Formats: sequence, C-alpha cells, structure tokens
Amino acid sequence: MICLAGHQLAKNFLDSDQVIHVLSGTDIIVNQSELVCITGQSGCGKSTLLHILGLLDAPDSGTIELFGKEINSNSPDAAHIRNRDMGFVFQFHYLIEDLNAQENVAIPAMIAGESRQKSMNRATEILHLFDMDHRIGHYPNQLSGGEQQRVSLARALINNPKIVFADEPTGNLDPQHSLEVWQNIQKLNQDFGYTFVIVTHDSELANSSPIRYELKNGILVRNN
Amino acid sequence: MRFTILEKFYISKYLRDPRRYLLRFNYVFMILGIVISVGILSAGLNLFEGYQRTLKSLLLDSIAHVSIFSSNSEYIPISEANRLKTVLQAHKEVTAAVPVITSSVMAQKAGAVRGCFLKAYDKNESTFSKYVVSGSPKLETDNIIIGYHLAKEFNLVVNDTLSIIFPQMNRITALGLYPSERQYSISGIYKSGYYEYDRSIVICDFETAGNLLLTEDRVSKIEISLLPQFTNQTEKIQSTLESELGDDYIVTAWTENNAGLFRLITLEKWLIFIVFSFLVLIAGLNVVSAVSTSIVDMSSEIAILRTVGAGTVTITRIIYSRIAVIGLFAVLIGQILGAGLSYLAIKQSIYTLKGDVYFIDKLTIFISPTNQIVIFFVAAVIILLCIRIPLRNIRNMQIIDVFRRN
Repeated sequence: MICLAGHQLAKNFLDSDQVIHVLSGTDIIVNQSELVCITGQSGCGKSTLLHILGLLDAPDSGTIELFGKEINSNSPDAAHIRNRDMGFVFQFHYLIEDLNAQENVAIPAMIAGESRQKSMNRATEILHLFDMDHRIGHYPNQLSGGEQQRVSLARALINNPKIVFADEPTGNLDPQHSLEVWQNIQKLNQDFGYTFVIVTHDSELANSSPIRYELKNGILVRNN
Repeated sequence: MRFTILEKFYISKYLRDPRRYLLRFNYVFMILGIVISVGILSAGLNLFEGYQRTLKSLLLDSIAHVSIFSSNSEYIPISEANRLKTVLQAHKEVTAAVPVITSSVMAQKAGAVRGCFLKAYDKNESTFSKYVVSGSPKLETDNIIIGYHLAKEFNLVVNDTLSIIFPQMNRITALGLYPSERQYSISGIYKSGYYEYDRSIVICDFETAGNLLLTEDRVSKIEISLLPQFTNQTEKIQSTLESELGDDYIVTAWTENNAGLFRLITLEKWLIFIVFSFLVLIAGLNVVSAVSTSIVDMSSEIAILRTVGAGTVTITRIIYSRIAVIGLFAVLIGQILGAGLSYLAIKQSIYTLKGDVYFIDKLTIFISPTNQIVIFFVAAVIILLCIRIPLRNIRNMQIIDVFRRN
C-alpha cells in the first residue's frame, strides 16, 4: 500500500542572479512499512526533498499524497498532519533544552490533545523501548549524542506516525552511536512496521537499507 | 481565555521553577529596567500621596473648617458671638465653635519686618495649646505666642519681646494719625508643622488684640471645627448653617480657601505619574529588545515545536506567558522597591523640603492601595503590550529557514 507519493516535485533557489534547480520534477513512492534511504552529494537537495515531503517546505511545483490524499505545507491542516501522521528526526536532534527527556518526548502528544499525565506515561513507555528509563528526568545537555538521538526518535514515534522522516540521523554521531541509532531504526521498521524515509550521506548505512535512492541533478534514481 | 494542554504544561513549569525557566541573562536588563522604572514611579507617587495627605491633615488640624462672618460689619459683638457659639455647638458635626479676632499686622524686631496675621482667642481657649513647643500655652494679656519659624527668623526665644504693628492709621494723637505699635513679651512658641502658619500667625488674647486693634467687645468671626468624618462634607454643612443663620451672616468653608491648593497638588501628583510612566514606557522598549533577542535564541525551539505540530498561536502564547510572568513579577518587585525608596527618602537627612515653597518641611510617605493598583495596571498594560510587538515575528518565521541556518 502506498504510504507517501511525491509527483513531479520541483524546487529552485535563487542565488544572487543565478537560479539553482535543486529538484527538477522528481517522483518518489514510499510504501507502508518500507525503509527508504536517499543519498546524494552534499548540497544536492536531499534535505530539501525531505522537508518538502514532510510539509516543512513547499515545492515550486508538484504534488504530495499521503495514503492517496493530497497534502501540502500551506494548507491549514499541515501542522495537524505533521503532528498526527509524521515523525521527524534531525541531525542536530533539536531537543528542547529546557525540558527533560520525558517532557521532550511527550510534547507532540500534548499538542495532539492528550492529557499531560497520559502523554508523560506514553513518553515513559517509548523511552523504555530505547533503554532510556534511567535517563527520563535528564535534560538534553546531560545526555550523550546517541542518547539525545534516541530521545529524538522516541519523540518522533509518540503519536504512532504513518511515516518518519530522518535527516542525517547519524550525521553528528561517532561510529558506535551511529550504529546504535541505525539498529534502532531498523528494529522499529522490522518489528513495528514503521515507515522511514531517511536522508543520509553515509554510504555504508545506505547500503544496508532495503530501498535506496540517489538524488542526481534534481532527480531521484533508484539504486537497488 | 482557554489554554491548550501544551500551554498549561509550559505555564505550570514556569511557575513551579521560575529560577530555571525565567531568570535568564537575556531577561536580566529587561527585569532591571522594569524594576527601576516602576520603583521610581511608585516611590514618586508614595511621596506625593504622603505629602498631600500630611498637608491636608495639618491644614485640617490647624485651620477652621467653617467660618462665620457678619455680613453687615467687620466685627460681631461678643455677646452675639457667644449666642451663636451656643447655637452652633448644638450641631452634631461641630466639635468646637470659637470666636476669634483676626487681622493682618506686621512683626518687627531689630529693623526686620515681617507681615503676620494676628489671631486672638478668649483667655480660656486652648485649641492651639497642643502645638506649643516651648513656654506656656496659656494666654495672658500683653503676651503673645508666636510660630516656630517666625521665632527662628527673628532669632527669638520665650520671654523675648517683639513689636507688633497694626498698619491702619487708627490712633489719633496730637501730631496726627498713627498706626498702633506695641511691644509684647513672647510667652510661648508653637509649631503646627504647616510652614506658612508657623511663620506668620501670632496668637494673643482678646484684651491684647482689642488694645492694639481697637476692636472693643467685638470679634472678627466664629471658627468652627468639625468632627473628622464631616470635614469633607463642608458644603452641605455650610448650606445648612447659611439657611439657619440667615442673611446677617456669611458662612465660608475651608475648601473654598484651599480648594485650589489641593486641586494643584492632585494635578501635580498625576503629572508626576504620567511623567514617570514614560520611564516604564522606556523600560517597555527594553522589553521589546529583550523579547526580540529571546525569539532569535528560541528559534530552534520554536521551529521544532512547529515541526511537531504546534500552531503559531500556541507558541506565541507560550512565549508570551513566559515573558509576561517575568514582566509582572518585575512590576511587583518594582513596587516593593518603590516602597523601600520612599522609606529611604523620608529617613535620609540630606534633602529636606523647603517649607516656604512646599508648606511643610519634611517628607512623608503614604502607600495608597489605589495608587499601587493603578501603577500595577498601567505598568502591566505597557509591559504586556511591549511583549506583544516582537512576538508577531513568530507568525512570519519559516521553520525551514531555521533548519537551514543551523
């Protein structure tokens, strides 16, 4: 079943007087419970594509469908879709410094309207999945890079999203923590059926992904 | 206003641990600005309120609340004055009705002359005795009681003598008309605290005044003191007495003679308030700057909250509540500082009021709850409005720009 589809997505940037074609009408289809990796050279537009698919940015042209329903970042329910149907993991974890691990994870649930208590309980359960029970009261600056990224993953999953977007999730981690995070993602995909779209420049990581795309000259090319 | 679960969550965190969430370096100068400006505003108003109340209290304590004059002549015969006294004292609002002789005179000592006001009472009258600070409060013929500042000006003490001149040419001698001039022994010195009185009123008994002014058995007016709860109802009492005493008498109230003064003081108080409110406005500009910086600092947090689905309204309200808590807390601290500053102002001895300008010569404070509520309300409105201005930028903030920057 098609989870996410992008059709003819195009995006240009203006740099001084020069137009840079980052996406040149590319397509992508992500089926439910797939783990898709997008690779490409630095600056080729991988993150831009991910942001467009995640409704964080608008394409200049093209359409996006989530389970057959067209969605776009300018629609009034874009925030609601991001909250309920999508999860996000970034290279720089983007945890809120003033909140502890449990609170950081609980935020999307509270935005969705869950009570504070229920959100906290759910956050505790998810952090338990990542072996973070002993760290739930710790603040981001008290956590290691790998732990921060695990909290970030837990936050992405708290509302049981239909799809999780990860932008260089291991890009800021040492090899050991990279592997740890990658294993967590694979486990979530295989054991729980979460759909992932991951952007990475780590070719080793991408090679172990079942579906790989490379972004070349603004067009996605399937590599396997 | 209904808060979302996320807003309630943040607000409860701010209130439970304000030190962790609110006392940030970004906000230090914003807090200082609010505290200092509100402190100055509050201190200014406390001092002005104290001044106004002290002056009013001194004035009401030392002047007649209602005075009765004859409409037909300059004086009232003493027998008629005593009859009126009995009639007036029957009113429940009246604490005392005292016949007095009053006249403008000049005091002279060693070539120095000062315009004064002679006020003569019956020998048994003692309404002024509580103010006598040295000598005897008892009135004796050919003795006078003078004010503290007049004594200081002429360098006089009890038992010294002072010449009093009645400047009307009422004394016929073989050489023509002369003003009355007599020398009196000072039997007492009083201090009411009201500078103008302490410098200008000379007190004596009827006989002494009669010999100088040639009033014979007549008085100038009857002065009425009212119970404290009626001092602000003098217009009503004035009208009652006017209809009771008829056209032969003129009834005047203290408010007629001093209303301008109190209106001026009230006006000055609110002018001070407006001027000092501009300080709060300047502190408000500081708030705009601090909030703008804060938004830049929190851009990652704002971006991630929007990424996970929080609306701009919710985020704006979270940041607004955070800074509003700080701002309102700073206003309260400023009001406490204001009380402290005004207390220090009255305790210090470096600066004293000039009595000849301000009527009283010492600072006093009064912390009026009404004034404090007005200060809090005005400062809060200014601060809260200033917080809103930069928060509008959150609506225009693009999540993607924040991620790209990082």
